[in-house]
Amino acid sequence: MPDKNKAPISILIIEDDLILNHQLKQLLEKQSFIVTQCFNGDQGLQNAVSNHYDLILLDVSLPKRDGYSVLNTLRQSQQTPVIILTAHGAEEERIMGFKNGADDYLPKPFNFTELVLRIEAILRRARAAIPQQVVDSVLQYEGLMLDRQKQQVFFQEHPVQLTPIQFKLLWTLMLHANHLLSKPQLYRLVMERDFSRYDRSLDMHMSRVRRKLTDVGMPVDRLQTVHGTGYILL
Amino acid sequence: MKRRLFWKLCTTITVGTILLFWIIHHLILQTEQHMSFIDQKYQQQLIDYASHAEKLYLQGDEEKLAEWIKTLQQQENTWVALIRSKLTPMAGSEMDDYFVENFALGRDVSWKIHLYFAQNPIMDITFADGHTHFLIRLPQRMRPGGYWTYTSLLLQIALPMLLLAILSVVIYRHVMSPLRQLEKATKQFSDGDYQVRVRDDLGKRNDEIAALASTFDSMAERIGAQIQTQRNLTSDLSHELRTPLTRVELALSIAEQSHPGDESLQRIRQECQQMRDLVEDALTLAWLENERPALRNESLDLTDLIDSIVENARFEFPKHVITVQTPETAYLHQSSDRALGHAIENILRNALSHTPTQGTVSLSLQQYPDRFDLHIDDQGPGVPKEHLQNIFKPFFRLHTPNSIVHKGFGVGLALARRQVEATGGKLWAQPHEQGGLTMIMQLPLITKN
Repeated sequence: MPDKNKAPISILIIEDDLILNHQLKQLLEKQSFIVTQCFNGDQGLQNAVSNHYDLILLDVSLPKRDGYSVLNTLRQSQQTPVIILTAHGAEEERIMGFKNGADDYLPKPFNFTELVLRIEAILRRARAAIPQQVVDSVLQYEGLMLDRQKQQVFFQEHPVQLTPIQFKLLWTLMLHANHLLSKPQLYRLVMERDFSRYDRSLDMHMSRVRRKLTDVGMPVDRLQTVHGTGYILL
Repeated sequence: MKRRLFWKLCTTITVGTILLFWIIHHLILQTEQHMSFIDQKYQQQLIDYASHAEKLYLQGDEEKLAEWIKTLQQQENTWVALIRSKLTPMAGSEMDDYFVENFALGRDVSWKIHLYFAQNPIMDITFADGHTHFLIRLPQRMRPGGYWTYTSLLLQIALPMLLLAILSVVIYRHVMSPLRQLEKATKQFSDGDYQVRVRDDLGKRNDEIAALASTFDSMAERIGAQIQTQRNLTSDLSHELRTPLTRVELALSIAEQSHPGDESLQRIRQECQQMRDLVEDALTLAWLENERPALRNESLDLTDLIDSIVENARFEFPKHVITVQTPETAYLHQSSDRALGHAIENILRNALSHTPTQGTVSLSLQQYPDRFDLHIDDQGPGVPKEHLQNIFKPFFRLHTPNSIVHKGFGVGLALARRQVEATGGKLWAQPHEQGGLTMIMQLPLITKN
């Protein structure tokens, strides 16, 4: 959720469905975002180019100018993060590569939780892009010890063999121990790509990491799945 | 013209056969005639014999002539004679000049021999005086037509056989080549290529087979269009449902903010989730059916995939028992974790929703040298044998004898089957020994080079 102390975050919604547009506005405003609404492509593009927004939610099928055209023209002048809302099938979308320069895409139907998780993931990345914090090369937490240089993992002195991607996943969870990391966030941080529905690569790595850690005696419930949201290391 | 092919065949066979008979007959006659003449060399030899005899005769040395005739008889192993003829007209009749000039006691050497007479003919070479005849039975070595038996056999049996075989090949090809094209098209059609057409490939042909091709084409056109319409309907319907469903979900989020923890709202949330899955599945199915993509460019560990799916399922169905048996690792290459994950998720969800609470659903993954077999057993009511295939049809509903409608299968299994097939595997159902249903997913193992 946006931090009250920082400047409020502004979001532009370009969506021709009146009801949907108003619903999104209402829900996002409840989350303390500042919301501007547009109902067609031309108006949306004009608004996006002439004002500053932290994020744009862009529908694909719009009257006057479709979403991809808006995105292409916008990208010529601005790098505002864009989440595309599409009515195509998730798998089709992914394989056909409809993303076209968007920062993320969310197939309809979606629910608000999903949307908020993706907005957060994108904003977090946009912010983190500037100050790269210096990180230790060794992390220790409740019996777990990770050495990034040597790519070694120990749980209470027992060595655990992890692949580089598994190591990165555990490292990321350790960095944010006791904090819930959403799937869109973890995909960006660990897999360096967007999360899409039915993508199970992260879950599969998580299952393997959990299996390896419990094999050397770590309690199962320390690596928890928060259903519909993400993962947390306790 | 009606029955074009019939008339074509009829004409070809009738005319061809008559022509064949005529040619053979003609050939035999020609050949026989050709073979009936005495070889030029032998003709000359016979004439030489006669002139030698004539020379001796004119010298008047009868003893020497007799000696020579005897030697000739032995030499040629035949009968030789020198005979004088005297023609006397009687009863006041007269001699015709032509008859007197051409009178002979045997055959002229330039004449044909009747090959069907076993005995050799007597040849006559008349001396210059016109009434002394040198007669000789044709020596066996000079008899023409030695190969006649073989030749006639060849002409009467082998030649017609060959010609008829050629005719058969021509007719067969004429009939079969379009049929083969038709067969190929039918196979392509049944493999899902609804664009395939045959008529144009047959060119100018305009017969019963061309008519069959046209019929096939119009059938392909109609069925293709029907299938397309049906798929478009599913896809359009799902598509149209997306925006309203999003509105419902967002309205729900708004309602939840003012009534947190409301049971009805939770119920709506659940139902929304189900509708979403259905819409998503129907769209993915339509996409897979239309595009037929091969989903085989990822590697995955089936054990991890199953673990992550089971974890979700345990959360979703907390009152069921799910047992899992997997190898420590199960690497599968050239596959798709999304497609397989989605498929296994749908099969498992289907198994769980048909199993009563407290019941057990078990998954077991077996590795073989060439494949993985995943068995998913449920404790549901099972499916009658005759419907084991039908449950893979979209929106199939099972009616029990006492007409209780079971929960439908939606599109989950239909989609699962297409997804497994798109990764190169197979999916089928069989009854479980203790009632319930076993789903078997067979995934071929491709060794990574």
